[in-house]
Parts: sequence; C-alpha cells; structure tokens
Amino acid sequence: MIGFVVQRLIAAAPTLIAVLTLVFVIVRIVPGDPALVILGDQATPEAITALRARLGLDRPLHEQYFEFLFASLTGDFGTSLVTGRPIVSEVAAVLPHTLDLTGAAMVIGTAVGVPVGIWAALHRNRAIDVAARILSLLGLSFPVFVSGIFLLLLFALHWKIFPVIGNANLADPVDRIHKLVLPAITLGLVMAAYITRVTRSAMLHVLSEDFIRTARAKGVPWRAVVWKHGLRNALIPVVTVVGLYVGILIGNSVLTEIVFNRPGLGKIIVGALNQRDYSMLQGLMVIYCFLIVVVNLITDLTYGLIDPRVKHA
Amino acid sequence: MRLRAALLAGAAALGVAVLGGAAIAQQRTTLNVGMAAQDVGRLDPHFAVTTIDRVAVAWMFNGLVRFKPGSINPAEIEPDLAERWESSPDGRTWTFHLRRGVQFHGGFGEVTAEDIAFSLRKAAQASTSAFSGDFRAFESVDVVDPYTVRIRLRENVPSLLGLVTNYAGGYIVSKRAVEQKGDAFVRAPIGSGPFAFASVTPNQSLELAAHEGYFRGSPQIKRISYRFIPSDASRDLAFQNRELDVNYGRAQATWVERTRRLPNVIVDVFEPAELSIININTKQAPFDDIRVRRAFAHAINRAELVRWRGEGVAREGQSLVPRGYLGFTADVPLLQHDPDRARALLAEAGHPNGFTVRVVHTQLPEMLAGMQVVQQQLRRVGINLDLQVVEHATFHQQIRQDLSPLVYYGAARFPIADIYLTQFYHGRSIVKTPTAVTNFSHCTMADAEIDAARVETDPQKQLALWAEAQRKLVEAVCGVPLFETLLVFARHNSVDYGYELKGSMSLGPLITEATRFR
Repeated sequence: MIGFVVQRLIAAAPTLIAVLTLVFVIVRIVPGDPALVILGDQATPEAITALRARLGLDRPLHEQYFEFLFASLTGDFGTSLVTGRPIVSEVAAVLPHTLDLTGAAMVIGTAVGVPVGIWAALHRNRAIDVAARILSLLGLSFPVFVSGIFLLLLFALHWKIFPVIGNANLADPVDRIHKLVLPAITLGLVMAAYITRVTRSAMLHVLSEDFIRTARAKGVPWRAVVWKHGLRNALIPVVTVVGLYVGILIGNSVLTEIVFNRPGLGKIIVGALNQRDYSMLQGLMVIYCFLIVVVNLITDLTYGLIDPRVKHA
Repeated sequence: MRLRAALLAGAAALGVAVLGGAAIAQQRTTLNVGMAAQDVGRLDPHFAVTTIDRVAVAWMFNGLVRFKPGSINPAEIEPDLAERWESSPDGRTWTFHLRRGVQFHGGFGEVTAEDIAFSLRKAAQASTSAFSGDFRAFESVDVVDPYTVRIRLRENVPSLLGLVTNYAGGYIVSKRAVEQKGDAFVRAPIGSGPFAFASVTPNQSLELAAHEGYFRGSPQIKRISYRFIPSDASRDLAFQNRELDVNYGRAQATWVERTRRLPNVIVDVFEPAELSIININTKQAPFDDIRVRRAFAHAINRAELVRWRGEGVAREGQSLVPRGYLGFTADVPLLQHDPDRARALLAEAGHPNGFTVRVVHTQLPEMLAGMQVVQQQLRRVGINLDLQVVEHATFHQQIRQDLSPLVYYGAARFPIADIYLTQFYHGRSIVKTPTAVTNFSHCTMADAEIDAARVETDPQKQLALWAEAQRKLVEAVCGVPLFETLLVFARHNSVDYGYELKGSMSLGPLITEATRFR
C-alpha cells in the first residue's frame, strides 16, 4: 500500500511541473497589466514602471519562471501582488471553508445520488425511475445561482431559519454547520443529480451481466444479489465519477460561494484573475492541482477496498 | 388558576422579549456595510484606487483639510488636521498649523509635522503612491516646527487645498507605522480617523474599531463590519433581511424605486456623478475627418440614454467636464441629436452607406449595456460598431495601447475642471506616450488654455480659460458626452449618518464620530 502511494506521488511530479509551467505561461498570456490594475486608471507610466520593477515583473521571463518553479517545489508560493500578504496564509484562511463546502456537498451528493440511482435502476421504466430521471435532469439544469437564491428566499427571508450572509466563525462548530447547510444543499443536489444518473446506468449494466443471472439461478436471494454482487461491481464507475467530481466541485463552488457570501478558494481565484494577481493565481493553481492529485490517489485506494481483485502493487 | 398562571407567564415572556428587544436596540453599535466587491485591495490610502478601498480609507484617515461631510463642494473645505493655514501672495508657499494632541491609531503617537511631510512626500513619489502625478507642482514639503509644515510649489495649482484634503494622495499616514510595518502597511494601515483598522478576512470582511481617542470625540458607532458581497442579489437579500445596515446600490432607476418601496429604507443618491464619454481618436480614419465626428455626435441621443439609465440616477452630459465641477460650463457648441444631419454629413464625407468600425470594449455589465444602447443609436445612421468585448483589465490595457478608435469611458475626478481636462484632453496625457494618462482622442488644441488656467491666479480669468478649453474640445468633437451617473447607497432609517449626504469624494457614505443608530 505504502509503495503504491509513493509510486503514485512520484508519478504525479511530472504532472505537477507541467501544470506549473502551463499556469505560468497562461497567466502571462492573458492581456492586462497587474501594475495598472493595482494603481488604477489615473496612474502615470512612471508609477506603473516603478511598481512593475518593485513586483519583479520587469525581469526576464525565464528568470521569473525558474524562480517560481523552484519556490513552488519548496512550498514557498510568495506573496500576493495586490495585498502583499503571504499566499499560504491567504489560502489557509479560506481553505477550511472550501473543504467544508466540498466535503458536505460530496456527502449530500453521494448519500442522495447513490440510493436514488440504485432505486431507479431496480424500478426501471416505472414511475419511480421516471421521477428520478426527471428530478436529476432538473438538478443538472438549474444553475446554482438560481437554486441558491431560491433557497435563500425561502429559508432566510421567509422562514428566517438561516442567514443570507454565510461567513461562518470557524471556531464555533454550531455556527459553522448552521451556515453550511444551504450552500451544501445547493451544491450537493447538483452532484446528487449527476451521481443518480451514473449509479442508475452502472447498476443497469451490472444487473444485466451473466454472473448476476447465474447467482439468481443458484437461488441467491434477490436482496443479496443486488447488494453483494450488483452494487459492489457498479460502485467502481461511481467512485471514479465521485473522485473526478471533487475537482469539479472545487471549481463549481465559486458560484455557491458568491451567492451565499462564503469565503473560499473559488472566490479567491476569481479575484486573483480579475486583478491579474500572478503570484496568487500560480499559488492557487499549485494547491488546486495538489488537491486533485490527492483525491485521485484516494479514489485509486478506494477501488481496492470495493473490489479486492484490484491490486495496488 | 391555570389561566392566570398562563397569562402571567405570557406577560413575563412578553416583558422579557420587549425589554430584551429594547436592550438590543440600545446596544446596537456595530454598523454592517455591504459592498459589491470580492475583497479590499490596498488600504494604504495612497494606493486606494478602487471604490471599495476608497470608501474604507475615508473612515480611517484624515487630511490636512477636509470636505465638509456630505459635500463635495471645494468651497466648503474646512480644517481637519490643520486648524489654520495661510499662503504667500503669489500662492506658491503654503503654511499649515496643526492641531495639537491628535493621536494616531494603535498607540503610534501624536500627529506631527514630520508625519505630514512624510505623507505628502510619499504621495508625490511614483514608487510609493498611485497619485504621484497630482503632486507634480510640489517643490518641497518642509517641517518648520513639530506643529507647522510648509509646502512650496514650483508653479501655481488650481487648488492646493484640494491636494491636501481627505482624498487620494491627501491622506496623512503615520510615518512610524509605515517604516515599522513596511509592506504589511497596505493591509494593516494606521491613520488618525474616527475608525481604526482591526482585521481583514480575505474575501469576507474588513473590521474597523472606533478610535476612542479621536480628536472630534469618541465615535458613537463602535465597530464597522465592511462585508464584501459581490452578488447583487445576495447583497440585496441580506439588506432586506436586516443583516446589513447600509448597502451599496445600483445606479438604476428600477433598483432605486424597488428599494425605496421597502419599509423603513432610505436610498441616498449623491455626487460626484461619473461622466460617461465616448472619446474619439481624431488621428485615425475615418474619425480624422471632422464631418464624420460631427455625424457621430449627431447620432447620439442623450435623452434616450438617460431614459434607459433612469432619470433619478442619471442626467445628460453637457460638456466634456462633469457638471458641478469648478470650471464646468454648459456654454459649449454641443451637437444635438439629429439623425438626418448625421446621414448627410456621412454622405458628404464619402460614407453614403455608412461604415463599420472595430471597437474594444469591456465586459463589465453596466458599461457593456451602455455601449450597446449607443451601438443601436449609431446603427440608425449607418455607423456599425463591431464590438470586441474583452475582460475589464484587458480593456484598460488595450485602450492604453491605442487599439480602439472609440473609447467609452466613465470617470469621476476631483471636482475641478483642470484634473479632467488634463487627464483626458491635454497633449501630455495622450496614450502610448511617456507621460500618458487617458487622452484617447489625441486632441491638443486646448493645451494652452488648460496650462494657462492651471497657474492663473485670477479666479474669473481661470474660469474663462477652462470654459474656452471646453468650447474648443467640444467643437472639435474630441469626445461626445453621454450621461452622468450618480452614486447610490441604501440604508435602514435606523442609521443616522449625522449629516445630510449630498456628496462624498470617497464614493461612499462617510462614517464619522457623529454617525449613530437612531
């Protein structure tokens, strides 16, 4: 197991370097001068030149690249061009909020999506199945800024159960959960809709396999066939999708964070992009990439737990 | 018996609720302000260039002098850190006498002439200020004694007091704090205003605490929570839900009307207005032909633009300087809406079937919508705008690279004609030159009047020069004024600013020691 983890982490290193290089190039290809954004529209060319020099943006690109690469690989992401604060502390301040939201959304998405998908597959083409398909389609079709505002209107403005402003006090677990409920439901339901469709499709596929027919012919009870043989095999693609979806969740969380006024990685990325905060963007992309690598690793390890035939070494 | 017990319990509960409510009302000392932004940027006042930063630094810093709260009238400038001042007969030497005993936040000591000299020198230096261009005329800032500072000018400026007011580069910082904190000062500044920096949570809020030792008295509001809420819908819901006391508003008549209908809500619409102008590059074909520029101007229907924007929050542009600014004149040969005349001029200039021109424009929703209305108006006379919509930072970079023959630009500046005329229409400010600012039209025909007005000591002659400059620029159609948009903020009527909000140079309501909950 440990060997497998080490092997995967080593394999991730070239990916990480490729991502770092791409990020470095892309943020510089996008037009827009950070110095102009920082100094505003009344700045003189003299002031812009002075700031560019102070931020190190006037140095040759290859110099900036190697410095960035070396610093990133040693965990030093530098300071934000705009705020001057260390990127690590800016990210550390909001990362718990993002992890709370994506974690809770993933739990909701899986807890709702998997059972509904199984249920729909077991009742193929019956009312339950049709209802599940329609609801999952609705879930996928509604953008979070519509469903989020709808939930706010209902639960914050009308019933006054939850606040509109969702910036939780991390030290207070009750406040943290209270302010997480609506955003997590908003984001989680989109995931649930997706997982429902994947689970239904995987279950239908597995249930039509020969080994299921054999098990039934041998007289294995239907419940055991479904849970032991059907679900276990159907879960492999579901876990793959859940793993992939975590990356999408972190990306999609930006709209949820904006609607519910929650701090988070997504909001920081948008802000950094608007302000052409190169160093912040680079730092965020490295952290984002690292999170994806870790999630993929966990996904791979989970395969072994679900299906012992999958070997890790 | 049971009924009586129930009634007593009910009365007790009611009493607790009422008394509790009254207690809560009495205890309300935190002001929650909602702002349409992702985050604050730089809180060093000499780098505070965005609206969100400007609003906040105005609560934390003082100038030598200040605009009277609620006003942007330069004639109403009053003492702030300086209790009095005098100038030499030629207007080039100014001496300011400071109040004694004014304290900086956080135990950084008394405000002295050293801090004033340090702040003004910092504001005038390109590496330490975004407003260094405003202080070009400063020759020296000298400390005469701990409570007296002297400013010497190379040449006269239209308003020296304007430069040292509580606006842009005029804010006074603590010398010791800047030196001690270094780069950290931009996110943890030290001023002497009614509110002190307490903390900032990225993407969440800026927290300010009352400066109990404030020289005008201890503020009645004890804490300001300045919340960054970029989603308009969420911010409005939070305001409706009373989670916000003050809310950044949208300059749209529909928003203002809808918000005014909410119970116990006041919507303040105030100056300075942002003047939107289409600047025309007079050196680039087909706009190098004055007939084409005149046709363009005749195609614009300002009344329609104001109706689109909303009459309560917008008004027609009347010149190439916003109305109300010192030196503004409406006595300019502004071409009126006349589509037939526009078509005739185009035909005369060799474009009987009109033409298509590629224009770079921002994707910012409000500016894009405005440009789309203009696009429709121009299409009626045969001028087709091929809009290249780009992200806002890209827009700013590309228009400064002279990549667009037409530049739609909205701006408010210090309310003196000189600033607007110099930045937008002086030859020194032409884009892509070493001294560039925002002259997109490449016009230089009013340089002499703008320069002469800047150093003119006779107020009447100065006004005449500024008026002449505007006439020349309007006549040459260097730009076409569209409309002026006022600022909008909403508040619950429990919030009393302590003054009448008619204007604010910080682009948001000033929260002073007198601001309170009613």
